[in-house]
Amino acid sequence: MQFALPPRQLSTSHPPYIPSTRLSLLRRRQLKAIAVFGLALLTIFYLLSYFSFSRDSPADVTPAGTPNVVIVTLFDREGLSDSHIQMITKNREYYAMKHGYTNFFANTSDYLYAFGSDIPYSWALIPAVRHAMATHPYSTYFFHLNPHALIMNPDISVTSHVLDRKRIESLMLKDIPVVPPDSVIKTFSHVKGNDVEFILSQDKEDLTSDNFFIKQGDWAHFLLDAWFDPLYRSYGFAKAEKHALDHIVQWHPTILTKMALFPQRVFNAYSKDSPGAVVNGTYQDGDFIIRFSRCQTYDNRDCEQEMQPFYKSWQKSHRQN
Amino acid sequence: MPPSRPSSRPPSPLQGGGWSSPGLTIGSSSPHTLASWSGETSKSDDARVYPSFSTRNSGFFSRQKRRLSASLPRFRFMPSRDYQEKEKLGRGRWQLKTRLVSVLGPLLRRTRVRLLLVAIVVLVYYLRFWTGVVESYRRTSLGGGKSVVIIVASNIEGGVMEWKGAREWAIERVTLRNKRKYAKHWGHELEIVNLVARKKYAHEWREGWEKADMIREAMRKYPNAEWFWWLDHNTFIMEYSNSLRNHIFKNLASVTYRDINVYNPLNISHPPNHFFLDPRSRSPDGDGDPSSISLILSQDCSGFNLGSFFMRRSEWSDRLLDIWWDPVLYEQKHMEWEHKEQDSLEHLYAHQPWIRSGVAFLPQRHINSFPPGACGDGNDPQIHYKQHDRDFLVNMAGCEFGRDCWAELYQYRELSNWINRTHWERFKDSLSGFWKSISGSKEKEKHS
Repeated sequence: MQFALPPRQLSTSHPPYIPSTRLSLLRRRQLKAIAVFGLALLTIFYLLSYFSFSRDSPADVTPAGTPNVVIVTLFDREGLSDSHIQMITKNREYYAMKHGYTNFFANTSDYLYAFGSDIPYSWALIPAVRHAMATHPYSTYFFHLNPHALIMNPDISVTSHVLDRKRIESLMLKDIPVVPPDSVIKTFSHVKGNDVEFILSQDKEDLTSDNFFIKQGDWAHFLLDAWFDPLYRSYGFAKAEKHALDHIVQWHPTILTKMALFPQRVFNAYSKDSPGAVVNGTYQDGDFIIRFSRCQTYDNRDCEQEMQPFYKSWQKSHRQN
Repeated sequence: MPPSRPSSRPPSPLQGGGWSSPGLTIGSSSPHTLASWSGETSKSDDARVYPSFSTRNSGFFSRQKRRLSASLPRFRFMPSRDYQEKEKLGRGRWQLKTRLVSVLGPLLRRTRVRLLLVAIVVLVYYLRFWTGVVESYRRTSLGGGKSVVIIVASNIEGGVMEWKGAREWAIERVTLRNKRKYAKHWGHELEIVNLVARKKYAHEWREGWEKADMIREAMRKYPNAEWFWWLDHNTFIMEYSNSLRNHIFKNLASVTYRDINVYNPLNISHPPNHFFLDPRSRSPDGDGDPSSISLILSQDCSGFNLGSFFMRRSEWSDRLLDIWWDPVLYEQKHMEWEHKEQDSLEHLYAHQPWIRSGVAFLPQRHINSFPPGACGDGNDPQIHYKQHDRDFLVNMAGCEFGRDCWAELYQYRELSNWINRTHWERFKDSLSGFWKSISGSKEKEKHS
């Protein structure tokens, strides 16, 4: 059996490069230093270029004094009395002034040309919000408020009451049917507060698109444009844009992931006479907003009359004029 | 030296320079025949007569061999080593000196020969493996080839509806080989999706929309890829040497157009002019920044064509892929929308302004040339394939309706091979062509 052979004597076992090892060691050190230096230089260049390119162009800088929140109110001047419109306007203006927000009042009639025939006017809220976004390109949040809603507690600021990330995470309703009472699609349970761009609430029957918050951006344009598609408008949803929203939210997860549902009373408490409030969804003193839901659709109800006492009490406590 | 070791060795010098006695070796080994015994003794006798060093350094090959064995693990026991090494060193030098003169000439010649050999080997390797090296480089993250995924539809209407015949198989083989070759050459990923008619789509009457699902699946499967290139199965990439980067992505802003009015067979009014839209939506070029382009497609004579289109991974694409099929739209339009997802996209483009901010068009012949027979008889310089311009891709759109898919595909494959011949093939062809022209003219003379 053969084992590994012990070595034969080598004629070159004293390699001539022994003295040169020190030199190469030196050399290696030099090389190392050069490499480190070069790397550092590259890093500096990279960082410099990174910072110089990532700086925004001056056109994108938000001008000073831009309101963070825009309150969008859409008036159908054919259906609402002037006094009603005035009440609402005063109510909104006071609130906006107090918190440095701004108002965007729109007229339904402006948008009707884009509709097609036999389409309910309520669809106009979608182009109205889009219009508000185009008018206030630097504002972040758009708060659509129904013309039959009064801000009862103007001390509450929406940024801390609704739009704060932690507030969103603590309030949003997770894993509940998107469309009440029992739709198969449920709200996601893993949505983060930072990702939410659309905040609304449900009543007993639907998602309510009467009061909602939406964040300006590509996603908002996507939602509003898709929602306003002519084939939805012509489809004849029983509750028009409301049912269209129910529909797209359930069928398109890219919409559902950006949406958060809040308990109704946070910004959509119903008056006692309004049908369809969820449990604990009816207005109580101190709540942010009261809404007189569907006060127009019933003959025995009068929106203005219902609103009057609340408007008076708001005036008494918050406007000393 | 351990006592057991010498017995296992062939007769050779001990470490100390002495010799193991032949007797010892024989005694411990198994019984030998007489012949082998005498052979061994004579060998060891030889070894005894001639010092082992004399055979060293005698030639290139043995020197190499020794150098090789020297690198093996070795055992050192003998203290008197140094002295002998010196001696050997001296002898080696002496031998080199004596040989130097006589060897120098042939050696020089040999190095030249060796250099030549090396050059030849390098050349052969270059010719044989260089493309492979380049291709595998392109497949790495540095090469960037993997940022593109080619999605090819196969097996259209196979399975449930009908069995494929020989022609269908041939078509599929050719078209897949075509894409495979291109993907391999540029290091792209190739995803072959099976469009077997599936229950999921069939019962809702929505074949065609699975494109969206397939792209989404591919996006999940290749999380690092940026662009996804959808190709129908009756397309053929004509120019393998044309990279997508050079052809499209490098000059995205200049090769594409975002204002559909450049070529607008559907007469879509553009830009959207609603006053309530933001300035970007109302601008004909969107934001004008090529990085916002997420869908690149081309239009044929009747509108959008989705036989060959690019989609970039982006939020915009997620949204489009999500909204592309919608039951309410579908319910109202499925009788009208003959081209299914294509018509649906046209509808979305026309009516939802956000879509336009992500769409760019390429002139049709850039990625989607038609053969004559699709959109007219072949004279439209906007639409039809021109060999002279070396169009990138042919889409035999609609060949299954009254035209011969296989014949067209075969013809374009041969054409592609022919116009992309190597220089050597070109040379051969020109020779044979020359010969033919001579003999042909002679024959003509004979005939006339």
